[in-house]
Amino acid sequence: MLNILWRNLKWRFQNPISIAVTMLQPLLWLVMYSAVAGQTMQNTGISNYTAFILPGVIVLVTFSACCSGGIINYIMKSRGSFYRVLISPVSRSSIVLGQMLEATLVSFIEVTVLCIVSLFFSVKVASGIAGIALMMLLIFLTAFFLSSLAYAISLFLPNEVIYETIMTAIILPVFFLSSALFPTENLHGGLAIAINLNPFTHVINVLRSLIFGQMISFIYLLPVIVLFTAMCCGSFALAMWRLKKETAQ
Amino acid sequence: MPAIEVNKLVKQYKNGVRALDDLSLTVNSGEIFSLLGPNGAGKSSLINILTTFYKPSSGKVTMLGKDLCREPAWVRTQIACVAQRVSIDEHLSLMENMMFQSKLYRVDPQAAKERIHSLIESFELSGYLKYPTSSYSGGVKRRLDIAMNMVSFPKILFLDEPTVGMDVDSRKAMWKMLLKIREEYGTTIFLTTHYLEEADQLSDTICIMKDGKELAQGSPASLRSYIRQNLLRITFPAAAEARKYKDALHHTRFIKFASVRNNSVFAGAEDVRAAFTSVNKWLLEHHVEFDAIEITEPSLEDVFLAITGSGETREEGWVC
Repeated sequence: MLNILWRNLKWRFQNPISIAVTMLQPLLWLVMYSAVAGQTMQNTGISNYTAFILPGVIVLVTFSACCSGGIINYIMKSRGSFYRVLISPVSRSSIVLGQMLEATLVSFIEVTVLCIVSLFFSVKVASGIAGIALMMLLIFLTAFFLSSLAYAISLFLPNEVIYETIMTAIILPVFFLSSALFPTENLHGGLAIAINLNPFTHVINVLRSLIFGQMISFIYLLPVIVLFTAMCCGSFALAMWRLKKETAQ
Repeated sequence: MPAIEVNKLVKQYKNGVRALDDLSLTVNSGEIFSLLGPNGAGKSSLINILTTFYKPSSGKVTMLGKDLCREPAWVRTQIACVAQRVSIDEHLSLMENMMFQSKLYRVDPQAAKERIHSLIESFELSGYLKYPTSSYSGGVKRRLDIAMNMVSFPKILFLDEPTVGMDVDSRKAMWKMLLKIREEYGTTIFLTTHYLEEADQLSDTICIMKDGKELAQGSPASLRSYIRQNLLRITFPAAAEARKYKDALHHTRFIKFASVRNNSVFAGAEDVRAAFTSVNKWLLEHHVEFDAIEITEPSLEDVFLAITGSGETREEGWVC
């Protein structure tokens, strides 16, 4: 697993543009959108709009970083090393985990950059060190789920063009149909149902509560951790099943 | 103990294509085994099954005494495969590629270092250590690919058309390398190729297959004896003249079939000695300019064309 992780990280750091590109859009949201929209949000009771959208932007950057992890499958397939690794005695779970952990690590790097930038906008985590640790756990679960999902989808789809088109088509609706940009408490009807059905709404809300709130509510936190742990197990099983199908033709 | 035993192997894809149809073959330990066949014969399907990438529909494959379907994880520790496409990671250096491969096979780090140095020497790669792998020529990349796959000291090395697209010099260097692998490391080499000369030069055993079935298996010499008859070779000053006289010769009553290769006509006859005299006479009577006429042994190409039925000028009766 560490061998595969090392190999993929080498590729990533030799292609830093893949990090820059996945971080660009979330960074623009954080810096430019929060500056513009922050002024119109002053009357909604949100004291720091940059801090308000930071959890959503964290999820967005995690999404982008994990999606780019799926691209590595296409690169390795086109260069032949995918086949070489598959017929080696490495366990299938190590192959999947090595690649997923690379995407997770890149997600953390990008999230760290966003958090450093947000410091310039007076964003602080009110819940302190314990809150930061819980935020890291939630980001890890989100990245683990998304990277294994991206891994499975990349093996389902025939080429990177279709893969990128589909992933883009998934990211934006998920982002907008969540509580990433606006408070959703006053929403009603179908839109409210759709937003509540989106699991990312809940992780964004919990991350936000850790940024704004000094107290940590485990009753609020635990269901989200349980939900995302279950989702991680499901998506990892899907990725494993899809990889095994590659050799079950 | 044979390295590979394939018994009545069938591979049928979901689209109904039967790539392998009751194929049986045996590969002895320590030999170079070449698989020859026209496009679509099932060579790639077979190599994909033997390297645990595909699963067979039915039949039995035993590798180094163990059932491939029951113990694919063990089989993976014993084999390596040089695929048609070079599989090195171009973002890694030569040394990093070798180390990555050794870790995939859990080679002890100290043993890996020693093996890597020995392989770099054997494959004449030391001059390339300081350059990025992406800058290597196709031939050097291929050499690194093979060296990498040897780092685990596999008992069986599969090579799927390893010399495709190579120039003549690189191909000959590759042959030398494969012979060296067999001699120095005692590795069983399973090779698929389109080049008959390659199979002829390298192989201890050749298997000719078509439509998913084995048509013949044996040493190059024993395969040549399949067509049991010598040929008449008439060499002309130019290839155009060889083509011009091929049909004329074919229509004489002495010749059973004829084919052109370079500037020579290869002709088969019931009685090749009698044909030698008659054709010689015919050529002189018709004032045909030719450089040589001789009785020659069939080449592997003749055998291949005869067995697979791919020869344009082959007659039905010529099949062994």
